[in-house]
Amino acid sequence: MTTAAAGTAPFEMTGGRVRRDGREVLDGIDLRVGPGDLLAVMGPNGAGKSTLVKALLGLVPLSAGRTEIYGSAPARFRDWKRVGYVPQRLPMGGGVPSTVREVVSSGRVARQSRWRPTSAADRAAVDRALEAVGLAGRARDSAHLLSGGQQQRVLIARALAGEPDVFVLDEPTAGVDAASQAALAGTLRELAAAGRTVVLVAHELGPLEPLITRTLVLEHGRAVRADHTGRTARTTGQSA
Amino acid sequence: MIEMFQYDFMRVALVMAVLIGLTAPAVGTFIVQRKLSLLGDGIGHIALTGIGLGLLTGSSPVLGALVVSVLGAVAIEVLRSRSRSGADVVLALLFYGGLAGGVILTGAEGGGTSLQSYLFGSISSVSATDLYVVAGLAVVVLGIVTLFGRELFLLCQDEEVARAAGLPTRFLSILIAATAAITVVIAMRAIGLLLVSALMVVPVAAAQQLTRGFRSTMLLAMGIGVLSAVSGLAGSFQYDLPPGPSIVLLALAVFVAAAVGGTVVRRRRAAPAAARSGVEAEAEVLGG
Repeated sequence: MTTAAAGTAPFEMTGGRVRRDGREVLDGIDLRVGPGDLLAVMGPNGAGKSTLVKALLGLVPLSAGRTEIYGSAPARFRDWKRVGYVPQRLPMGGGVPSTVREVVSSGRVARQSRWRPTSAADRAAVDRALEAVGLAGRARDSAHLLSGGQQQRVLIARALAGEPDVFVLDEPTAGVDAASQAALAGTLRELAAAGRTVVLVAHELGPLEPLITRTLVLEHGRAVRADHTGRTARTTGQSA
Repeated sequence: MIEMFQYDFMRVALVMAVLIGLTAPAVGTFIVQRKLSLLGDGIGHIALTGIGLGLLTGSSPVLGALVVSVLGAVAIEVLRSRSRSGADVVLALLFYGGLAGGVILTGAEGGGTSLQSYLFGSISSVSATDLYVVAGLAVVVLGIVTLFGRELFLLCQDEEVARAAGLPTRFLSILIAATAAITVVIAMRAIGLLLVSALMVVPVAAAQQLTRGFRSTMLLAMGIGVLSAVSGLAGSFQYDLPPGPSIVLLALAVFVAAAVGGTVVRRRRAAPAAARSGVEAEAEVLGG
């Protein structure tokens, strides 16, 4: 299962199972995400898409099977600056306000030392991330006052600011306006051109479709279909 | 007004008020962001048992409060992360246990008046030694906020993203709770345990009426904290009022003023926005 070249696969899951409240939310998933793959995880509501990406990141523990990030179990993985996670958008606000720039800057945290102040390289990366999602002009605004699509772009920019090798995006297109959809497609195109790996959860692909190299369709926690045009990819579903 | 500087205890108390005004809102900004506004309140209750233990064993009540409240804060954080449904009740048990235990223990020591001074604050009883302890603890709190600020910010924004960035989220959660406990001990002499939490939360609530960012909220809250603590203390000296409630009522007055001012400012900002492009105006509506 482990390839000779150390740590080539960003994600590799074997027989991944997640039980919650006596129900199999993920039911035997085998998945290898190779470098440069743009994988779309699709399926109806409650199919286990978000659980799958969280399990890949080690945020949800497996009840059986195993999963690795660059060849290490999530609990032993240390090189987190290689991973950028864009969670499903939650309503911001309620707490203390944060500017768009503050939220995006926090994406640098895995690359920063506790003892060093923010460097010019940090600021430049944050500037690039804001430009990439078209929010450079809103950097000083409160993030919670932006529209849903703009807030989604803030979260994407936060991951971009960390300059990771692999991006995991959970429903980046849900409830997002056309301008934000276009911004997301543009960002993905640049990531693909730069050889980055992307795993994204989506209901429908829309303008993202031509960029996707593989799709994995989940239903009731099982992989029911896996299409791929990728070079190194090999995906099987237990039920297939 | 000038005459209060002639008293040693008043000079000590004023320096202490500045330290409290700086530290409590600094920690409070993270606490409010994590939606744990009542955490300080709970720790205050638990700290009372520490004071009782300190008095009873003849050691320093401040030391007792420090040890017991930090342990209590760590326990709260561990319970909070372990169980979802039961944590609420367990926390309540800890709080009431802390308060009841403290009252019994200080009562056993025969310290009825000192109990009152710990619950609502007392400035005439603070000594120079107290000030050194408080100053040392304030340096620790501000050091933690400075050193771990970036990590705590991301933790308070989204714990899962913080974990996926490789941050030690459990350690950081315990760190923020322990820092809140230290802040409670810093503030308890002047403000009192029952009102300590107010100075962690109210200045932050006031500041965020006027600010757009996290850092600016924290800095403004610290300013409001110092202003309310110093003027509340001066007022309590002048008019012979208890210091804790004076400080808290002043902070609440600032909050009311900031809420009114903030509404006016937002109305003014929103007016030109309506004339802007449809998409941007819609964004304001969605956010507001």
